[in-house]
Amino acid sequence: MNFDLDQDQLDAAAGAKQFFGGQASPAQARAALEDGPVAPGRKALADIGFTGITVAESAGGAGGSLLDLAVVAEQAGAVLAGPSLVTAARAAVLLADQPELAAALADGSRAFCVVDGSTPALDAVGADTFLALVDGALVVGGGDVVTGRPMDATRGLGVVTLTDPQVLVPDAARLWARARDVALVALAAEDLGTAGKAVEVGVAYAKERHAFGRAIGSYQAVKHSLVDAWVGVEQLRSLVWWAAWAADAAPDELPLAAAAAKAFAAETLERAAETCIQVHGGIGFTWEHDAHLYWRRAKVDRLLLGDAAEHTDVVAGLVLAGALA
Amino acid sequence: MDFDDTPDEAAYRARVRDLLAEHAADLVHLDAGEEAADPREQEQALRRTQRVLADAGLVGVAWAAEHGGQAGSLAQQAIVGQELARARVPSLINHIGIGMCGPTVIAHGTPEQHEKYLARLLRAEDVWCQLFSEPASGSDLAALRTTAVRDGEDWVVNGQKVWTTLAHVSDFGILLTRTDPDRPKHGGLTMFVVDMHAPGVTVRPLRQMGGQSDFNEVFFDDVRIPDSERLGEPGEGWRVALTTLLNERVAVGGGGNDLGLSIESLARLAGEKLPGLPAERQVLARQAVGRAAVAALANRYTGYRRLTAISQGGLPGPEASAGKLAGTAAAKLVADAGVRLLGDDAVFAAAPGDGSGEDGAGRWQRNQAWLPGIAIAGGTDEVLRNIIGERVLGLPPEPREDKHRPFNASGSTR
Repeated sequence: MNFDLDQDQLDAAAGAKQFFGGQASPAQARAALEDGPVAPGRKALADIGFTGITVAESAGGAGGSLLDLAVVAEQAGAVLAGPSLVTAARAAVLLADQPELAAALADGSRAFCVVDGSTPALDAVGADTFLALVDGALVVGGGDVVTGRPMDATRGLGVVTLTDPQVLVPDAARLWARARDVALVALAAEDLGTAGKAVEVGVAYAKERHAFGRAIGSYQAVKHSLVDAWVGVEQLRSLVWWAAWAADAAPDELPLAAAAAKAFAAETLERAAETCIQVHGGIGFTWEHDAHLYWRRAKVDRLLLGDAAEHTDVVAGLVLAGALA
Repeated sequence: MDFDDTPDEAAYRARVRDLLAEHAADLVHLDAGEEAADPREQEQALRRTQRVLADAGLVGVAWAAEHGGQAGSLAQQAIVGQELARARVPSLINHIGIGMCGPTVIAHGTPEQHEKYLARLLRAEDVWCQLFSEPASGSDLAALRTTAVRDGEDWVVNGQKVWTTLAHVSDFGILLTRTDPDRPKHGGLTMFVVDMHAPGVTVRPLRQMGGQSDFNEVFFDDVRIPDSERLGEPGEGWRVALTTLLNERVAVGGGGNDLGLSIESLARLAGEKLPGLPAERQVLARQAVGRAAVAALANRYTGYRRLTAISQGGLPGPEASAGKLAGTAAAKLVADAGVRLLGDDAVFAAAPGDGSGEDGAGRWQRNQAWLPGIAIAGGTDEVLRNIIGERVLGLPPEPREDKHRPFNASGSTR
């Protein structure tokens, strides 16, 4: 057994960290709330090759695994980058047998959005090509997007009405289900990055801020809440890696692993973000501090692609059906 | 990344299975939670089981050959553990000796001590216990009061230990004592190997909250220990104890093993009980089962990461504390979901005798009454959080006012 990233994946993570560190930031996520652009944006993500990580090489992608994508997605999450690699991962599965559209995903010549009925869709803002499941068929088309006032502008959420849908795959229920599981893993991977960053920021502040003559991180009440958040992040990392690995290496395990990762991600990120604010005290409640940007991501992501209750029920159903036997 | 056995591991696993099948008649086989009617008989059977396993090369798998081990890998050791569980062979009677005392003797003992103890420990010819906690020092272990005073070639020990697993069947123990009360508390400690059959050693079982007796109190009244049985230098006892504690946190939960009942057994119980519940209760019960499963899976896979790191040559670090912390929380979710599925029976304690067998209902109540102890034993949740906070996250320590004062002036003696 070897449950660790390989050297290529570690290198990819380091490269992604450098790229995202230069291209996106909580400051840009804040600016996006006041009509600034979402960073790094679709073109930059395509140019560096991140929208095509799991697109086949024959279609101009890197032909990588979901684990390859997950280590990059973690770094995207750490700086609240947008659009989401969830959309890239999910569309790549749906377009596996559509070489021209897959190529357009990889090179960024089309801006994709994957739509689940009438629930607000991730990366709908600015999209020009919409994928959806209609009457059991995978369709592609244009769309009219209605947005609300964003809680987290980097997510580009909007309700989509499809226009001129064309059937790509007539009997696509299984393909759709797998793509959705892959999306759950990618979302959990981004949340892992965000949660890890929120804990890191909280820990750094607890070392530096003094009260009653001591660094606040020396007090057990503060220390233990940061530890609980950190333990959650490390446990989430295990579920994300397992689920991402399973997508390619053990597809039978993917539904259980993906649902477990998403359910755990929702609660882990929420706790990390709320702990980050609490540890900061008053400054953490201000607009100019980054803490609320992690919190916004947490409050939105926990509801995307099904909430923790939904995925917890999926886990229970699979476990009861003998998924661990 | 790969969860499958390598070809070498698969071959090793096949060999382990063959050995277990070959020796099946000489091994104890028990379901989880099952106990023999006669404890004395069970002790003898468990000692024999370990001896048979040791002679087959299945004990001390990752220990060095010079210490009687098989010089194998931690992956091989994990495989043996999995195959023993699969064959329903219960925990080794000398698990404290192998997991904690043995590694401490190896790290700090003399060649003579290695020679005298290790081979017998592996074969359970001697069973070992760990004599650390005291009535007045649990989490603050370094504040312990049991004294050892030099007298000629011997040390004379007086004091009391508590929560000593297996003391009632042990032949030897590692004993942490205070030898210099004039030094600050960590600096005045010394570790010994103590003969549990020596005059002046009294063992009394302690009855815990669930009614069972799994631990003991141990009293030392003028017990003489030869200086040759010291482990490490006088005053170095804290450093020696840290070796033991590090190994303990890996042994307890570090590998992601379930600390309570398994999620698989919860799934079986839920499969049986859920259909009888009203629809709205089923929804709630499924949430409880799902939450427990997610927590247990998260901890299990985190354990695999830790095992991978250790098998690649890393040392068990303070991160292992997170395994016990999260494992305890997961075990409580599993137990709570299970007990609640029992319906009206959940307000009653397990009937005597119920709780045996793979699916006996009573084991859920028993496990529920066991888990508060798991959150305390081997490092309380709070101590583990301090370790992680200070040694992994680098947060500043809390003030420890007695740390630099002589022990006898520190207030810890009150």
